[in-house]
Amino acid sequence: MKRFALVMALVMALAAGFGCAKKTGNEPGYDDGMTPEMRAAIQQITDARVYFAFDKFTIKPEYKEVLKNKAALMKQFPSIKVRIEGNCDERGTQEYNLALGERRARAAYEYLAGQGVNPSQMEMLSYGKENPAVQGSGESVWSKNRRDDFRVVAH
Amino acid sequence: MRKFHLTFLMAAALLLASLVPAQAGLRVDIYGPGQNIVNLALAAPLRGPNSEATGMGRNLQKLVEENLSFLPFMRLTDPKAILGGTVLGGCEPPALDFKRFQLAGSDIVVTMLWPGGDSGTTSVQIRAFETSSGGRLFGKEYGKVSPKDLPEVADRFCADLLEALTGNGAFFRSTLAFIKSNGKMNSNVWLCKPTGRDLRQITNIPGKSMSPAWSPDGRFVVFTHIDEKSHALGVWDSSSHKVQRIRFPGNVVIGPAFTPDNKVAVALSNGKYPVIYLLNHAFQKERVLEQSNAINVSPTFDSTGRKMAFTSSRMGGPQIFLKDLGSGSVTRVSQGGSYNTEANLSPDGTLVVYSRMTDYGHRIFVQDMMTGQERQVTFGPGSDEQPSFCGDSYFIAFASTRGGSRGIYLTTRHGGDAKKVPTGGGAVSFPRWGMPGGKK
Repeated sequence: MKRFALVMALVMALAAGFGCAKKTGNEPGYDDGMTPEMRAAIQQITDARVYFAFDKFTIKPEYKEVLKNKAALMKQFPSIKVRIEGNCDERGTQEYNLALGERRARAAYEYLAGQGVNPSQMEMLSYGKENPAVQGSGESVWSKNRRDDFRVVAH
Repeated sequence: MRKFHLTFLMAAALLLASLVPAQAGLRVDIYGPGQNIVNLALAAPLRGPNSEATGMGRNLQKLVEENLSFLPFMRLTDPKAILGGTVLGGCEPPALDFKRFQLAGSDIVVTMLWPGGDSGTTSVQIRAFETSSGGRLFGKEYGKVSPKDLPEVADRFCADLLEALTGNGAFFRSTLAFIKSNGKMNSNVWLCKPTGRDLRQITNIPGKSMSPAWSPDGRFVVFTHIDEKSHALGVWDSSSHKVQRIRFPGNVVIGPAFTPDNKVAVALSNGKYPVIYLLNHAFQKERVLEQSNAINVSPTFDSTGRKMAFTSSRMGGPQIFLKDLGSGSVTRVSQGGSYNTEANLSPDGTLVVYSRMTDYGHRIFVQDMMTGQERQVTFGPGSDEQPSFCGDSYFIAFASTRGGSRGIYLTTRHGGDAKKVPTGGGAVSFPRWGMPGGKK
């Protein structure tokens, strides 16, 4: 009977522990093991997007600085792994846009690699036109959807 | 007794003779430029002389009517326009009165006879006659028919009739694979007949499914599958009803298509640009079919497998190209417009259909490979995309936003009014023709 009570207590404690594991980074008391510097780096890497012209995948001059900044942070924190997600606006067709999205992701990948980022810190994924950042039509919307997103997948 | 045997044998021979497919004069040239309209009347289904079949007979007739409404070259005669009505003294001459159908302007009359009654499990004899000559175009008995078999019998009869009239009954023997969306990054593969019947979902996996394609033997549907980490080739096996997700080195799996010998061609990338690979029967890379310093995607083949059309950006914007897989020569197909994609070769290899970006959305164009002449076959509104040729090289299915949310529509190589395929609720796209069980 004593042993049963002990097992029950352990089970209860474990269940309580699993409940706590649901906390996210936004909840008070959440500890993701990151230093404030790393957290700030991740924020900068993910916040700054790179945008493209219609049916193009060349990096515009104004986004080279953005990528250089990302490269510096990724070199400073080599445990950070980033998935570069290439996206397109709604105007093109789906299969061709998957290829174009991959070329956009690859353009950023190659630029970052050229800045000395270890390729093992990067992976690529194309969503084509399937994952728009903004819904709607018109150039103001389309220009926001022709983009690379940078998602930190490990740190 | 001997007399009875003789009479019975003669009656059986007469019945067989009346049901053997006939080669009468009336043919419908659906491939030529001057396609004409054929007027067809359906006589009331009979259990016997002047005795209308009001059970399964009436239901089968309704299904046949629905089916025939999908044929743009066929017009059904209004039964009210037939003087004397459609209930006949018999289902073949001399009891069949052709005059009343001629007067109503019908070119063809179809009769249905349920000699054993039209309830339970029974058989139906269906015949088609040319009204002007009285010549028989078609005759067949469909056995072991019960109420649940009626849609299939309607499809089989309509395929047989279409074949007798045009030489190809693929439309009613086909099943469309298509994509139905269920949220922003969630979609799965569904099937239905081109008439919308037999609608069913065949995959249920999280993530985005795109670009389904049937294997020519009707066993597999392959498709692109994208989840939050990677692209993969989805493979649905009709024999096990299971789905595999096959990953490849590189980042993309785009636009899989089957070759006539049941191998998959698909665009994969492990270098700078997507390359079109041929996979072996185990879905492993076999060899490169097309590569260049540009995007190459969306392969499509004719029924010989010697011609492959695809989309490439080698000249700047995306255009349609044709590769002779024997000689390796590549020629540009699309000449007008700056953005042409989603090519689909007609199985007979004579036409390429593709979508072109215009100021008003995408539109579908057909190019004749012999003459080089291009013809616009859809005109919106909305955006018309993802055209796909039926096995008869006549019907074209495509996705369009003309009705608000995206739906699947049918037109033909000549264009004309598009007819919507009923697919239930939800946005649908990527219609692709196939024949479960293989070509019949």
